[in-house]
Amino acid sequence: MTAILAVDALSVRYETPDGVVNAVNDVSLEIAAGECIGVVGESGAGKSQAFLAVMGLLAPNAKVSGGAKLRGRELLGTDPRALRELRGAELAMIFQDPMTSLAPHIKVGDQIAETLVVHKRTSWRDARAQALKLLEQVQVTDAARRLTQYPHELSGGMRQRVMIAIALACDPVMLIADEPTTALDVSVQAQILSLLKRLMRERGMALALITHDLGVVAGLADHVTVLYAGRVVEAGTVRRLLKQPAHPYTAALLRSMPRIDASVSEPLVAIRGQPPSPRELVGGCPFHPRCDLAQPRCAEERPTLRSTAGAMVACHFPIAASHGDLS
Amino acid sequence: MLRYALQRISGVIPTLFVIITASFFVIRLAPGGPFDEEQTLPPEIKANLEAAYGLDQPLLVQYGRYMRGLLAGDFGPSFKFKDFSVTELIAQGLPISLTIGLAAVFVAVLIGVPLGALAALRRNSASDYGIMGFAVLGIALPSFVIGPLFALIFGLYLGVLPVAGYETGQPKYLILPVVTLALPVIAYIARLTRGSLLEVLRSNFVRTARAKGLSPLRVLFRHALRPALLPVVSYLGPATAFVVTGSLVIESVFGLPGTGRYLVQGAINRDYTLVMGMIVVYGAITLLSNLIADLLYGWLDPRVRYD
Ligand SMILES: Nc1ncnc2c1ncn2[C@@H]1O[C@H](COP(=O)(O)OP(=O)(O)OP(=O)(O)O)[C@@H](O)[C@H]1O
Ligand code: SF4
Ligand SMILES: [Mg+2]
Repeated sequence: MTAILAVDALSVRYETPDGVVNAVNDVSLEIAAGECIGVVGESGAGKSQAFLAVMGLLAPNAKVSGGAKLRGRELLGTDPRALRELRGAELAMIFQDPMTSLAPHIKVGDQIAETLVVHKRTSWRDARAQALKLLEQVQVTDAARRLTQYPHELSGGMRQRVMIAIALACDPVMLIADEPTTALDVSVQAQILSLLKRLMRERGMALALITHDLGVVAGLADHVTVLYAGRVVEAGTVRRLLKQPAHPYTAALLRSMPRIDASVSEPLVAIRGQPPSPRELVGGCPFHPRCDLAQPRCAEERPTLRSTAGAMVACHFPIAASHGDLS
Repeated sequence: MLRYALQRISGVIPTLFVIITASFFVIRLAPGGPFDEEQTLPPEIKANLEAAYGLDQPLLVQYGRYMRGLLAGDFGPSFKFKDFSVTELIAQGLPISLTIGLAAVFVAVLIGVPLGALAALRRNSASDYGIMGFAVLGIALPSFVIGPLFALIFGLYLGVLPVAGYETGQPKYLILPVVTLALPVIAYIARLTRGSLLEVLRSNFVRTARAKGLSPLRVLFRHALRPALLPVVSYLGPATAFVVTGSLVIESVFGLPGTGRYLVQGAINRDYTLVMGMIVVYGAITLLSNLIADLLYGWLDPRVRYD
């Protein structure tokens, strides 16, 4: 397997007046060509920070360490100019909030065309013609008219489609979608997700789908990485992870959300306690204050990510696989 | 855009009408009249004078006559500068007042916006602190302090610019007044620009622009600057009003023959027509500058012009 994107021991920290914030700690993951990886975790787990770091879009005061290679080319700490050439062309990202992510004063068509003009040196004329095709591809109704409209004239779902069209304009090999449907109506959510799925298949594009919703992941992703307090606590295939979560946090996450595929309708259980603040360092396992399976050892020694019985998990006492569920 | 523009323009006329009408009656309500000061005037002559200027008529009749005159572009005779009509007086002074006023606003935008943008882009650097320190001073110091100070430095010590007075066709007489007038506006615009650009640079759509791989210059000029200028443009209307009223003071500091003196003298003398003429002209200027600011705002922000 050749990785399109390989993130290696990525950390992001901020030195603020109120102390150090460790937003991302030692995160590694790989995404293969044409594959979809789900990145899940509660709010504040460091999902956005990790991928904004990959894109080189963090605030100037962020301290980034580790590596991130796109098709073997290092992204972190490289010449900003070289990074700009990849960004928006080979590596694209769409964001959580479509209402505010488009420039209010530029026509939608021009916002799409601009990427082509800048990266491919296309003329504005041709770029606008391509923008029309892209809008049709992302199933924007009445695409020709939309080209000359401004973002405020479009609904949230339409704006997110425009964001996707911008991201797809230069045919990227890797698309990062940061909670692309969180701000949208449920019916629109499903449309956008199936659109992403289709585009992935058609273009052989790799997709990193950031979400706090395991249901979204179930429908789209091949692999899942679970983040907790800026760390990877579990990673594996969707099939295994949803059926047999090995990390108590993953299991709790699954219990806390409605499942259509649940064999018995179990009651939903919210995870007790609050996600840890990235400002305070929890000794031992970061999940231990909230973990039902915690033992004395968990408060003292931090579990490292290791492979046990087909699962990558960072836990001293992973949940054992029940027999016969997986071949 | 056209509908938006027509809407804005059609709002100006009624507003001006209300300003004129209200001022007309308020001025007449103030005690005293134009001929009261001339103590030696026998009552019959005063009555004759008042009749000659129509002041013996009921107020409503005077109002009707005044408005008819205005429509024909006639501001009436001055009560005190007896050889001149108000139109003549204002036509004499207005070019100077307008020149320094408009030049001040123009200079303020031209210097204030780049200064503010520089401070935002070099946030927390020495240039940021320097610019913002200057801005605080520029806003805090009143122009009647800065004006004489400038006259002292550039006129007396350095001797490069005239201290006061005016000769036609000699712009050097206008430099100090314009700079004095522009200084607080430069300071305010720089602060506005800095704050608003910093906010826009943190916004989601600028992050999108950077995610598209655009160069920093393109991000700044095509994506960030126009939205960041919105607060500056909204301030242009009030800024013009500020500069216009400020010019009344500055003109007397630098001894310029503008219109400023007419407002003060006219008010003291109860020179009704002169004061009214000033109000009409300055009211129109203020409304016009607000109108231009509105149109500019609509051009910058599509959300406004479609509502
Ligand atoms: N500029 C910054 N300075 C200090 N801390 C920051 C900064 N940006 C982000 N953080 C912190 O980093 C942590 C991780 O944030 P991140 O946005 O990656 O979370 P997330 O997993 O994407 O959550 P969500 O689901 O809410 O989007 C948060 O606790 C946040 O407070
Ligand atoms: S290491 Fe201990 S506290 Fe942490 S998840 Fe595993 S069992 Fe729970
Ligand atoms: Mg996020």
